[in-house]
Amino acid sequence: MAYLLQTNQLTKTIDGKDLVKDVNIHVEKGTIYGFLGPNGAGKTTVMKMITNLWKPTGGSVEIFGERLTPTSIDILKRMGNIIEFPIFYEHLSGLENLRIHCEYMGYYNPGSIEHTLEILSLTDAAAKPVKSYSLGMKQRLGIARAILCRPELLILDEPTNGLDPAGMKHLRDLFRKLCTEYGITIILSSHILSEVESIADTIGIIHRGTMKDEIAMKEIAEQNTEYIALTVGNTKKAAYVLAEKQNLHHFKIMDENNIRIYDSGITTQTLSKTLALNEVEIRAVSQKSESLEDYFLKLTEEAVK
Amino acid sequence: MLKLVKLEWKKNNITKYTRCALITSLAMLLFILLTAKELEAQETVEMYGENMLIAGVDLFNNIAFIIFTCVMLSAFSVSPYQNKTIYLMFSYPIKRRKIMAAQILAVWSFNFLSLVLSKLFSYCVLLLTKTATAGSIPLGHYEFYLNILIGSAAIVSISFLSLFVGLRLKSSKAAIVTGVIIACFTQGNIGSYTLSHNLPFYCSLLLLSFAAVFLSVYSVETKDVL
Repeated sequence: MAYLLQTNQLTKTIDGKDLVKDVNIHVEKGTIYGFLGPNGAGKTTVMKMITNLWKPTGGSVEIFGERLTPTSIDILKRMGNIIEFPIFYEHLSGLENLRIHCEYMGYYNPGSIEHTLEILSLTDAAAKPVKSYSLGMKQRLGIARAILCRPELLILDEPTNGLDPAGMKHLRDLFRKLCTEYGITIILSSHILSEVESIADTIGIIHRGTMKDEIAMKEIAEQNTEYIALTVGNTKKAAYVLAEKQNLHHFKIMDENNIRIYDSGITTQTLSKTLALNEVEIRAVSQKSESLEDYFLKLTEEAVK
Repeated sequence: MLKLVKLEWKKNNITKYTRCALITSLAMLLFILLTAKELEAQETVEMYGENMLIAGVDLFNNIAFIIFTCVMLSAFSVSPYQNKTIYLMFSYPIKRRKIMAAQILAVWSFNFLSLVLSKLFSYCVLLLTKTATAGSIPLGHYEFYLNILIGSAAIVSISFLSLFVGLRLKSSKAAIVTGVIIACFTQGNIGSYTLSHNLPFYCSLLLLSFAAVFLSVYSVETKDVL
């Protein structure tokens, strides 16, 4: 399959330390790719290499079917980005910042600045100097600048930082709209799982500089493991009862009070009854399914072990 | 390129620098007017020769605009690395060298023009206020203007040594301090000894300055933006 963006064994080493190693990313056209990882995992490093700000020590980046070289320039015209945090000429107004951006990008489309400001609810603040903006406003202005020139690929590093829940929701809806209506491919990084979970079509999980997995969200949904979450007073006793009395073997003791039972064919009712008959203190029983959070934690915890 | 230079001026609020250059020029003129009598005194002429008024105009304006150039260089070329606006600049579909060249040209042209105008303004005021005689300032000779043009171009160009230091250390302060040191070396004197009219010294500094600009811009295309 041809991808709009892919990296092959992408590696960045600084002062002998591998910031990222052998990272392979595959982004399909017209999709939203969630780049997930804890702080310091290497998300920004990868994004800096994709936008050519940093040059890879090893491996390669392919965008729009072309291999990115240290002097690739034209590719940048088809991209919009926010890396790390939105940066502006603080003494200039939001409007002036966007005008200057258009000049540098060589993009002239009357009314597009005003329209973009309106989409991001910044029309009223447009004439004020950026230094008077709140963090959330700067974030929105950064996104306005990134989408202003109608890029084919949007690269957004932690785009919802500093936004309130309503602002986050507004942006999620906007990203989805940009993707479905305008066919813009979006890569967004985040360490907030719920944010990625609700918007991404595919996620890539990076941890300590290496890719742990790359999977479509629908695959995660299909793979969702259902389990019974059991909170008891004594896990040892409960585990004995589960194994000996209920003949269950596919369960996992999570901590001193919690057990997850993956065996199918047992109901919470039967389970409660058996445990109660064997004098195991039950604090809670519920049927659950593994979320992206569990999936993410499983991968990153495995990496820690 | 002209468009890029204009954008540099716009981004960096050139009106502010124009105002500052004007104030600097007026302040230097005031110094010259205050010291004019000393500069034309019999003792001074005997010790240092004639044309001390022209030397005074050169000295004050050169010092001021060497430092002014370095301040502007630190704002146009060094600060973007400190406040990370360079991330933004280098994500545009424009060659990095071209962007750097535009920054350099924006500073050079502004300071060259300011220095030339400031010197000419000083001479005119000295003549109008009759502080200087028409004979001591040869406004009618083209060599006089040529000297101003070449001298100003050399002084502004030499100031670009600070660009290399500023970019190497990623420090605006280092760039400005370098400017002060350049001003001391090129315009200062110890007793009657001065390097301000030493042609080989100026040529060496100019060559060093060109090398500094080249080294600052040379590998920018393939370097990581840190």
